This record gives sequence, structure tokens and C-alpha cells, in this order.
Amino acid sequence: MTSVASPVAFQRRVPFGVRLLAFGAVGIAVYWSALTLFASGGAAAATQQVANALTLGAIYALVALGYTMVYGIIELINFAHGDVFMVGAFIALTFMGAGLGMEEAFGFGLALVGAILLGLAMGLLISRGFLRGRRGATIGVTAVCVAVAIGMERGLGLTSTIANPIVLAATLVIVLAVCMIAMGSLNIGIERFAYRPLRHAPRLAPLITAIGVSFILQNVVQIWQGTGDRVPAPIFPNAQFELFGASIRVIAVVIIVVAIILMYALQTFVSRTRLGRAMRSTAQDQQAAQLMGVDLNLTIAATFLLGGALAGAAGLFQCLYFGFVRSDIGFNAGLKAFTAAVLGGIGNLTGAAIGGFIIGFIEVAATALGYTQWSQAIVFVVLIVVLVFRPAGILGQQVGERA
Amino acid sequence: MNFRKVSALAGVAVLAFAACSSPGAATNPPASAGGGTSQPPAASGGTAPSAPASVDTSKGKVKVAVGLPYQGSEKAASEPIFNGVKLAFKEAGGGAGGYAIEVPDVFDDAVNGAHDPQTGARNMTTVATDPEFVAFIGPLNSSVGAAEIPISNEAGLLQCSPANTAEGLTKPEFGALDVRKANPDTINYVRVVTTDDNQGPAAARYILENLGKKNVFIIDDTETFGDGIADNFEKYFEENGGTVVDRQGVPKTTTDYAPIMTAAKAKNPEAIYFGGVTATGGARILNAAIQAGLDVPYVGPDGIYDGSAATKDSFLNLAGANAKNSYATAAAVGDFPGREEFAARYKAEYGSDPTGYSATGYACAQVVIDALNRANPSGDMAAVREAVRAAAVDPSVTYTTVIGEFKFDENGDTSQKIISFYAYDATGADGKGDWKFKEQIDFAK
Repeated sequence: MTSVASPVAFQRRVPFGVRLLAFGAVGIAVYWSALTLFASGGAAAATQQVANALTLGAIYALVALGYTMVYGIIELINFAHGDVFMVGAFIALTFMGAGLGMEEAFGFGLALVGAILLGLAMGLLISRGFLRGRRGATIGVTAVCVAVAIGMERGLGLTSTIANPIVLAATLVIVLAVCMIAMGSLNIGIERFAYRPLRHAPRLAPLITAIGVSFILQNVVQIWQGTGDRVPAPIFPNAQFELFGASIRVIAVVIIVVAIILMYALQTFVSRTRLGRAMRSTAQDQQAAQLMGVDLNLTIAATFLLGGALAGAAGLFQCLYFGFVRSDIGFNAGLKAFTAAVLGGIGNLTGAAIGGFIIGFIEVAATALGYTQWSQAIVFVVLIVVLVFRPAGILGQQVGERA
Repeated sequence: MNFRKVSALAGVAVLAFAACSSPGAATNPPASAGGGTSQPPAASGGTAPSAPASVDTSKGKVKVAVGLPYQGSEKAASEPIFNGVKLAFKEAGGGAGGYAIEVPDVFDDAVNGAHDPQTGARNMTTVATDPEFVAFIGPLNSSVGAAEIPISNEAGLLQCSPANTAEGLTKPEFGALDVRKANPDTINYVRVVTTDDNQGPAAARYILENLGKKNVFIIDDTETFGDGIADNFEKYFEENGGTVVDRQGVPKTTTDYAPIMTAAKAKNPEAIYFGGVTATGGARILNAAIQAGLDVPYVGPDGIYDGSAATKDSFLNLAGANAKNSYATAAAVGDFPGREEFAARYKAEYGSDPTGYSATGYACAQVVIDALNRANPSGDMAAVREAVRAAAVDPSVTYTTVIGEFKFDENGDTSQKIISFYAYDATGADGKGDWKFKEQIDFAK
């Protein structure tokens, strides 16, 4: 492996964060004013569209982070990532509902649980390095994994709206945790069996493998759940509140807040912890990092774990916000999230988040102004324009061609 | 090194296990639908209990193909049709014109849960090149029909659709001569339902007169059928004093309908008209509208009239309680003499209630049976196929079918131009919710 200038920007300076927030606030204000002026419905509709855009953007951003992290650390465009998001949505759906074990195509639910369990086992093996010498922590992690597996198999059996806010919040936290752990594990499993054997192969090999994994996940879900729409249990009430004359869905606010917390936690993890430092050094130079005592397998597995966990969270949000899941939603989400990652500067965490929000805002604006059928084209025109002026993306650093 | 390979193999084994352990794969029709293959061929002496005592099958066997989308959301619409077809052949004793009739399993024209014209065309090629097939019943979707008719036309194979409503499939003024371009003067495609130039206006009339709404938002799925029927709807609605506040085309791959519905709500429509089918977004659009606070009557074509809420993947099943204000038109006759008796026979056979298109499927099968009986063909299979086609499309023949009497015109369109209206009924299907027949308009009068 040759060296590469860090594609993952890890320096966090307070001024940058403040600048980012200010820039975002100004951007939203301009966006809101433009919609108020040019789209029908005035300020009320504009406010509602901003909420729509933030929610959509948050979901894209969570998926985009997985793309950008994996690219940053092993320079693989993980085409299976959109489908990990889709599987996450199905795990959320079945976990809230009757559980995997009671599904009609029992074998497939079982196989999926098997694959996830395998990933969990791998994660445990890998975490030997991380939890070295701390037996209590190891037992704790094992217990959580077993609980998640049993929970997924049994399901919560929910069918209707939960009115009590405390019960609802607790349920959501549990479902979120299960989705994130399960998808993180699945992603570790995918890395272990599909990508790691090809780590030193020509780059095209893991790329094609990623496309293959994408189809495998889609087909397993199609046979397990069918190809039609699946509607998750409507556990979140369709509650709304008034803001500038617009009625904003409470779930949208929850999604935006949780997504931003998750993104902030990721950023903190990568910039502040030992494992995060190992990830950054691996991204810069695998060989040198290894020479300095970084456990390469552990570090790469941890990257996939984090990316998968965020995709799992996004999958739950798909269930809660859009109210349906289908085996092919991973394609659109993956395409948009990948575009977001490129737009923001692939390899850059903040860039991926910004890219996700920008694409959400563009899509919603296209619709609000009456160009629904053009929204895809507009997204990619913006991408091309940005890449013409900043070939590495908005926050990407210019990287020399690898030898 | 070895360990790595072994563990990689273990991973592959898990996936392989996943692929093997699915006896009830979702894409396969359930056992009840597979009954087509167990259709008792009269040649073996086995006739259905309700069948005439004996049907002459001395000339051998012919096959009738049924081509419908049989996955995902569309299976909800197709299964009752296939059941209707099977019931007709069974009640006719499994034979006609001296031949035993065999109905193989459905030729599925769907890919990944949605109808696919290329797959339909491929199925039609398979059927057309097998001389034993004398007729093809289907498809469900007009876009699939547009891909299949050129092939069946060239092969001279009788095709009867129980559900296609796009005008362009039959009427020369809508470009049908390009569809049947191999033999433009030889009609081989007939349909027992009327066309969208009636179905669209009927929905417009229903919104204006029965629901009393003047401002409507139109959303279509950008496909042959959805876009076409929305055009027809829009034209009639505006000509008769209504206002279309906005119209948007949204492809079936869309995930997020919230911005569209927010924009639509800003224009204060009193009703939404959806041009499309359940698989292309029917229920998702309604759900998004309700979530955006746009709680107005929701009217769609037969594409969302696909069974009760108890039917997996149907519009009502996916929309749930949000369907409370939903209406659907159907080009099938809703009310015909003997409807209840037919429903009872259907339910006795399949354990579920028929849809409006079960009866049209049954009627298509009756057309094939009648043609076989009148042609009373003999000779090689090519001659049999041609004789059946010629007998079926004869404009002078009046068919007496389960849905009533009708003739085919010189383009293969039915003389029965009836559009039915259905509204959501929460008490239907044992409290799960079902479509309830309201009334029908006869455009022939």
C-alpha cells in the first residue's frame, strides 16, 4: 500500500463548527425565503418544506457517512451500503412487529439472523483487542449481543400507536439500539467474508464483490419478505405542532435531532478515542499504522461497524417517517447517499453530512417549485457543477493520484 | 491462510442455506393458485363436480395461457382474475369444441414485484411459438399489453384481456395500428372491459356530481396507463366546470412524497385524483397526503381497486385506516344479474370474495370456450388457432357471459361500456375494510 494524503478530515476546530452552523442557518434562511417567494403556499408551506428537507437530508446523511467512512479507510465504494440500510429498515419492521422467527419464510429470517449472529461473533472476536483484559466489559458485550439476537427473533409484537410518551421513547431507544447493533454486525460480517479476503486483490475485485453483496441482500429480503411494500406498525402517533402556520410532524423533529446527535457522536468518537485515532492513521497510511502497532483488522471492522450502525438507524427512520419498506429502496437511498458523499468530499465525515442535507434540500426544492420529475436531474446537475469547481467535493482535499 | 478460506466458505454456506431453505418462496403462487395445473383434463376422465356430465374431448388437448403480474402488490389484483379464469374452465367441464383445455400456471409478467413489458413480451413469445396454445388471457396492465399485442398479432393468437383499458391498444385513432402492425386488419386482441376514455371521465363525473368537489389535485405515475387515464380525467374535469389546481407525475421508484403533498396542500384541493396502480404508489401517496394534513377524498382508477384490506399488498391493505375517504372506479361491471350467485360459487371454490375482475376473467374464459365451440375446429394446431381467433373476434356474435351480453366491435372493443364506482367500506371483509359497490354508469347509453 502506498501512502495517501488523509482523505478523512479529522481536525475539528471550534471555529469551523461555528462557521458550519452559521453557514447552515444562513442557507436555511435563504432557502426558506426563496420558497416563500417562488413556491405556492407562502411562508407556511415553505416552513413545512424546510422540515421535509431536513428530515430527508438527515436520512441521506446517515447513509452517506457509511459510504464515506469505508471509502476513507479502504478506498472501496461499498455499493452494498444502500442495501444494508434497506435490511436495517426490514429489521426495524420485523422487530417492532412479529419478530423474525414468526415470519412465514422462517428459513430466511433464520438465515438472516444467522448472518447477523456470525457478524456479532466476528465482532466479539475482533473486540478481543479492544476489550483486552477487561473481562467484565467482554461479558457485557456478549450479553447485549445475545439479548439483541433473542429480541430480533421474538419481536416486540407491536401493532398500534403508542400514546404514552415515556413508553414510546423507551421503545424507540430499544428499537434504535437493536437496529444499529444488528446492522453494524451485518456490516462486520460482510467485510469479513466479502471484502477482507480481497483486501490485497486488484481494486476492481472488491468493487464487483460489493455489487454482488448488494444483490444477495436484495434477493434474500425479496424471498423473505416479498417484493411489495411492507407497512411497519404505526407506533409513532401522527402528532403535529404549529410553527409559522405550518404543521410539522413531531417524528420529523425526532429524526433530525437523533440524526444530528448520532453524527456528532461519530465525529467525537473518530476524533477523540484511541480507536478513532487508529482509524484516522489507517486512513492515512495502512502500512505505517500497522508498523506503529495499529490492529488493522480491528480498525477496519470498527469502521464497518459504525457505518452499518448509522445505516441501521436510517432504516428505522425510513420505517417511522415514510411508513413503508420495500426491497428496492436501498438502490435510491444508496445512489443519493453516495452522491452526497462525493458532493461533500468522499472520505470526509462532515462533508458527507453536509452533502446529505444539500441533496435533501435540492430534491425538496425541485418538488416545491413544481419540477418533481426533474428532481433527479437537478441533483446531478448540481453535483457536476460542484465537481467542476471543486473536483474533490465541497470539503474534500486534493489527493494526488495513487501510484 | 487455510482458516481464512474455511471461514469464507462458512459465510458462503450461510447464504447458500438462505437460498435453499425457502419452501414457501414469496414469488411462487400459493398452492391454491397452482390449481391451474391440476385442472382436471377431461381426457383422463376426471371432470369437475359442477361440470356437465361429459365433455367431448375426442380431438385431444389445447392449452390456454394466462399472463398476469403475479408478485408483490400486483398479485393482489391478479390472483382473483386467475381464479375467475380457472373457475370458468372448470365449470365448463374442462373442455370445449372437442378438445380438453389445459391451463398452465400463470405466466408472470412482473419483475421485482412490478409488471414489466419486456417480461410480458418474452412470455408472449413463448406462448406464441408453442402450437398447442390457442388463446392467451391477459395481461393486467396496458403497458404490458402494448408490448404483447404485436407478438400475438403476428402469430394470429387470440388474446383476451380482462383488465386493459388504455385506448391505444385497440382504437386506430389512438395509434392501435402501430400496435397490431404485423396484420393491422386482422383483429386478434379483444377485451371485455371498456376503455380509459370512459374510465377517466367517469371518475371526473363522480367527483363533480356525487362528491360535489370542484378543485382537484392530479398525481400520476408517469406510465402508459396512469398518465393516459389522468389525461382523460383532466380533460373531462376541466370541460365540465372543474378546476385542476396542479398536476404532478411521480415515478414509481419515489420514496419521499412529503414535499409533493406539502406543495399540493398549499393549493387547497378538495380532492386528489391518482392515475396509476397500487404498485406504482397508490397507497404511499395517500398515506403521505394524510401525513401532510391533506385529508380530502382520494379517487383512483381500477389500479387501486385490487381487493379488500385482508388481501396482502392490496391498496386497502397498505393504506389501512387512511383509506377512509377513498373511492375507485373499475372498468368491470360492478352489478350484473347473478352477481351474488357468482360470488357464492367463487367463494365456495377459493374461500375468498371475488373482485370485479374475477368476473371479467371468467368472461374472457367464456369467450374462449364459446369460440372453440362455435369454430368446432379440426386439423393441425395452426388451423385450430386461426379458427378460434376468427370465431372469437367475429363482430356479429353476441356473447352471453357472466357479466352480461356484449359484442366485440371491429377493433376488438366490447360493446359493454360500463364503469363502476366503489367506495371504502370499513365494515367489509369481516371488519378489515373492503371496497363497496356504489353505482355504475353505462356509457353505451
